[in-house]
Amino acid sequence: MVIYLKNIFNDAGDITLFAARFFKEVLRPPFEIKEFIRQCYTIGYKSLPLVGITGFIMGMVLTLQSRPTLAEFGAESWLPGMVALSLIREIAPVITALICAGKISSGIGAELGSMKVTEQIDAMEVSAINPYKYLVVTRILATTLMVPLLVVFADAVGIYGGYIGINIHADVNLFRYFSQVLASLEFLDIIPATIKTFFFGFFIGMIGCYKGFTAANGTESVGKAANSAVVAASLTIFIIDMLAVQITDLFF
Amino acid sequence: MHKEPGYTWKLGMFVIIGLVLFVLTIYFVGKEKNLFGSTFHLKTKFKTVSGLEVGNNVRFSGINVGTVKNIELTTDTSVMVILLIKDDVQQFIKADATASIGSDGLMGDKVLTISPGTVSLPPVKDNDMISSKSAIEMEDVMGSVKASVDNAGIITAQLAEFSYKMNNGNGALSKLISDEAFSSSLKSTLTNLQTSSSEFAKFTTKMNDGKGALSKLVSDEKFGKTLDSTMSNLQAGTKGLSENMEAAKNNILLRGYFNKKKKAEAKEAAALKKKADLKKKNDLKKSGAGKKITDEKEGGVLNATDSSMQQ
Repeated sequence: MVIYLKNIFNDAGDITLFAARFFKEVLRPPFEIKEFIRQCYTIGYKSLPLVGITGFIMGMVLTLQSRPTLAEFGAESWLPGMVALSLIREIAPVITALICAGKISSGIGAELGSMKVTEQIDAMEVSAINPYKYLVVTRILATTLMVPLLVVFADAVGIYGGYIGINIHADVNLFRYFSQVLASLEFLDIIPATIKTFFFGFFIGMIGCYKGFTAANGTESVGKAANSAVVAASLTIFIIDMLAVQITDLFF
Repeated sequence: MHKEPGYTWKLGMFVIIGLVLFVLTIYFVGKEKNLFGSTFHLKTKFKTVSGLEVGNNVRFSGINVGTVKNIELTTDTSVMVILLIKDDVQQFIKADATASIGSDGLMGDKVLTISPGTVSLPPVKDNDMISSKSAIEMEDVMGSVKASVDNAGIITAQLAEFSYKMNNGNGALSKLISDEAFSSSLKSTLTNLQTSSSEFAKFTTKMNDGKGALSKLVSDEKFGKTLDSTMSNLQAGTKGLSENMEAAKNNILLRGYFNKKKKAEAKEAAALKKKADLKKKNDLKKSGAGKKITDEKEGGVLNATDSSMQQ
């Protein structure tokens, strides 16, 4: 029991040190700009179709599902505002983050894990390249910056999906739809949701890197690293989301 | 390491589109909230703002032209509301414009409405004070609704009483409605009336067109004329007869008869006079005695009432 608890505390301490090391290294030159851009491309651009399709479906389905309830109150004109609010405040950030956790976190975990297992990381260290800086910092920075952008895309595509969802039953002009959406939005809806996504991105990258970087020797630990990265990242996303919403609620 | 980064433009496009979308959203939402663009301030005072909140829309001629920037209590009975309004509409809001608080739909947000003032007056300036009209409070509406509901209650109670009487009472109206016998008798009366009126109608037609004496009397002009001449003949005839009578009185043969008749008449008149005098005397005596009797009776009645009052 004591050993179990000690292990948990050990892990927590390790993660904290890992994260602290990121903040130390990110500000210190030399910067691996080329690798950072490559990571941004794989993480951001390559995830766009997945995030776009999910966002579109979420927006359309949310519209179709909310419609009967709102129609009962004769409040169908609130549908655009409601869909846009729920997409921007909650659904798009969380769904995008979960998809990124599945796609990016597991990818990073598996990549770094296999590098660790095949001792490539050790080889880097021997050849005077800081493996943390080259592999971890670039990836964490890329996820931290790309996930918010992906969320913006998901918002946009999702709201357009809502427009199509409304036009299945009613006939609403695109301009009218977007003016209704914008009329219902406030900065309080956008800013906390956007800040939240930076934390999502950071933790997706950080957990993936940590799991891969600390993988044990042996091929099976690669799979383990990828798997636990997804699980931990998804769980962390929900915990961060809860905290973020509570803090927003507290201050505004 | 990666000599030919053919993906850079894709990444750049991805990042730029994302950022542009974000910035556009921020810009449009900001425009909606009047944080960007040129604006000016207006102030107005209300006794109560009935739930108006900072950020509610300000409407002018039905168009959203601004938002409520601040609401603060100035004294215990007045609330200062500061409005943030687009510069474009400043020229249309005149100095005597009034502000009022309304509701956007039944359950919607509160809305502050500015009614335009007189055209000839100059437009408002920044930080001007405009007058306000107090809104209709929900409680006032409820109060008047309650009064009318109370009245409706009284009316329905009376209506119920009326219909109860109608069903169970003995008045003419209730009998008219509920009593079968009454209705049948009414029906027979009406049929009788109908037959009699039809008879009357036959009578009048006969009267107008018939050849009987009565109808001729009424409608025949010729008959009238002959009747007239008959009457004048009759008059002449009676005149002649009275002359004959006078002549007969003076006739020797008949004078005796007439004198005898005169004497008998005078005698009879004298006897009648005597009789009348006697009767008068008797009446006087009788009435004196009667009076005494009635007086006694009255006294008894009076005594009786006195005693009953004492009891």
